[in-house]
Amino acid sequence: MAGIKLRLDRYKLLEIFAPVAGFLASIVVLLIIVIVVGESPGEALTAIYKFSLSSSAKVATILSVSIPLFFAGIAVAFAFQSGVFNIGAEGQYYFGGLIGAMAGIYLHLPAFIHIPVVILFSMLGGALWALIPAILKVTKNVHEVITTIMFNSIALALVNYLVNGPLSGLGQGKSLEPQTAKIQSTALFGKLNGFFRLLGWNIPDYVYLDYSLIVAVITGFIVWFVLFRMRYGFEIRAIGTSLDVSRYAGMKVKQLQLAAFIISGALSGLIGLQEIFAIRGYYTYGIASGLGFDGIAIALIGKNSPLGVVFAALLFAFLKQAGYGLQFYTSVPNSVIYVITGLMILFIVVINEVVAAYIRTLRKKEAV
Amino acid sequence: MNLSFILFFFVKGLEISAPIAFAALGAVFSERSGVINIALEGIMIVTSFTIVWAAIALHSIWLGLLFAIVAGSLIALIHAVVSVTFRVDQIVSGVAINIFAVGLSRFLSQKVFGQETQTPTNAYLFPRFLGINSMAFLLIPIALIGWFVLYRTVFGLRLRTVGENPEAADTLGLNVYGLRYAGVIISGALCGLSAATLFPSQWISGMTAGRGYIALAAMIFGRWDPVGAVLASLLFGYADTFRIMFETKIPIPGQFVQMFPYVLAVVVLAGMVGKARAPAADGKPYEKGED
Repeated sequence: MAGIKLRLDRYKLLEIFAPVAGFLASIVVLLIIVIVVGESPGEALTAIYKFSLSSSAKVATILSVSIPLFFAGIAVAFAFQSGVFNIGAEGQYYFGGLIGAMAGIYLHLPAFIHIPVVILFSMLGGALWALIPAILKVTKNVHEVITTIMFNSIALALVNYLVNGPLSGLGQGKSLEPQTAKIQSTALFGKLNGFFRLLGWNIPDYVYLDYSLIVAVITGFIVWFVLFRMRYGFEIRAIGTSLDVSRYAGMKVKQLQLAAFIISGALSGLIGLQEIFAIRGYYTYGIASGLGFDGIAIALIGKNSPLGVVFAALLFAFLKQAGYGLQFYTSVPNSVIYVITGLMILFIVVINEVVAAYIRTLRKKEAV
Repeated sequence: MNLSFILFFFVKGLEISAPIAFAALGAVFSERSGVINIALEGIMIVTSFTIVWAAIALHSIWLGLLFAIVAGSLIALIHAVVSVTFRVDQIVSGVAINIFAVGLSRFLSQKVFGQETQTPTNAYLFPRFLGINSMAFLLIPIALIGWFVLYRTVFGLRLRTVGENPEAADTLGLNVYGLRYAGVIISGALCGLSAATLFPSQWISGMTAGRGYIALAAMIFGRWDPVGAVLASLLFGYADTFRIMFETKIPIPGQFVQMFPYVLAVVVLAGMVGKARAPAADGKPYEKGED
């Protein structure tokens, strides 16, 4: 028995090996780029350290930046689990955020109801934006990768129209950026910095550790529970592993995938919470873009598991800060981080395949 | 509306369709060999940067084109190595390459020209013909050559066999991996021509605006056929030309007009039900049998 257990652990170790090796390989590439550009690797690493881990405020910033990234990653990962490629998280949070902001602006509710309501409306908006690609996928077999990307562009144009036109609240804010009216104070997310200070973690006020962190923790737990403790989660994971087997097993593949797609959209709706309800207090066409695509990278690096996504989101937040550090202290542009991210995914998936093949041969040997 | 205006609309439409059409043609070759190439968008980003960079550096748009074709083929080669040799999910590989491509072009633009989001303008341009970039006219012969290669040559037959039934192809002694590499690299090289017809006078971050994905939609709408894919691309291109030429005259908000090509792509795909079939082994990695 002990022998078997040991061997299983070895497989587990091999599985963790891919992300770690992929990460290290991409750091090596980063250092090579740094050298090619004519900077010293030591200085580059110092620059990264200074901007990411040198103080508790910097570490807190990483945690703060990782919150929307976590939502993006978990949203994409949930769809991935059922074999659906939701490349549309981008459009879903643009639209979801707007619907959530509308609830925050136009509904009059006490804070303890208003905050859950805006969260639900954000999810509802995200789910709605995923609905058409989801229906087209399951009823007409239209590949979701293309439709969701098209819906990203459509969302961008629609939101641009709405904040410039019917929903414009220009004149209320100081900025000339097209934006909605202000969200009511009852729907704004407070900060948890005071709470962390009580725990002895001194976080300056400019770092946003707000209610969205609580939402993220709860969401992560619920997603884990659904995926690994409920029949529905088991079924969508089965579909993601083998569509044909699930079909033969009598699962209602289409309904399950439809639901997973829409849930993924709802989770995408949460990506904008921090920026809209904690940082800005209004909705604008200029909310951070690209998070949906970051989510794809995070889901892949985190191997679509909620815990993996937590680590990957933190890693990604670290990389983002590292990019700013490089840009600030050296002549290496921030965009190098995207070069590295793309490569990291490629390294990880390739190493994954190699390791999987190695495990197969190991198992074969054991069987003999 | 006089005759010269109508003529201009027709040639302008060809110019606007060409970048999508070349990429769609490339997509046909990649997918007929059995490899989905979602990386077209990223490849197009890199080629449209490379053509401007090389043209400015070497004072020749033709050398720019050569480098763009090489760059496109190299990025496509990455996709082939990852998804054919290592059998990684083709969409995952494509998505990663797209992330990589955005970073790479911005990184290079910053290092070469000191500006991350755009290059200076490039004065070395292709000759113009009938008021448009003459390279757009290449589309017609290239589409016909593409059709000929795919349906009338041994290479084309083998490529299609590998995309339909790699096991049988392998048994017949065909080099499945080699043919798939060829299909993917052709798609990358054709993205060099997309760059030549997109906007070779300047690179601006985001200028491809999803054309790589629209090209995939066009390829599906064109039923994985070279001529069909090009005709579908013309549909998207002319729709966009109409939008550009009449945007100010249409009494609806500009943002809705901008949505048009994307909505059209979704509608077109939704209307395709059951009318087309992807190559049987499209998207499926092939593992050579053990001997």
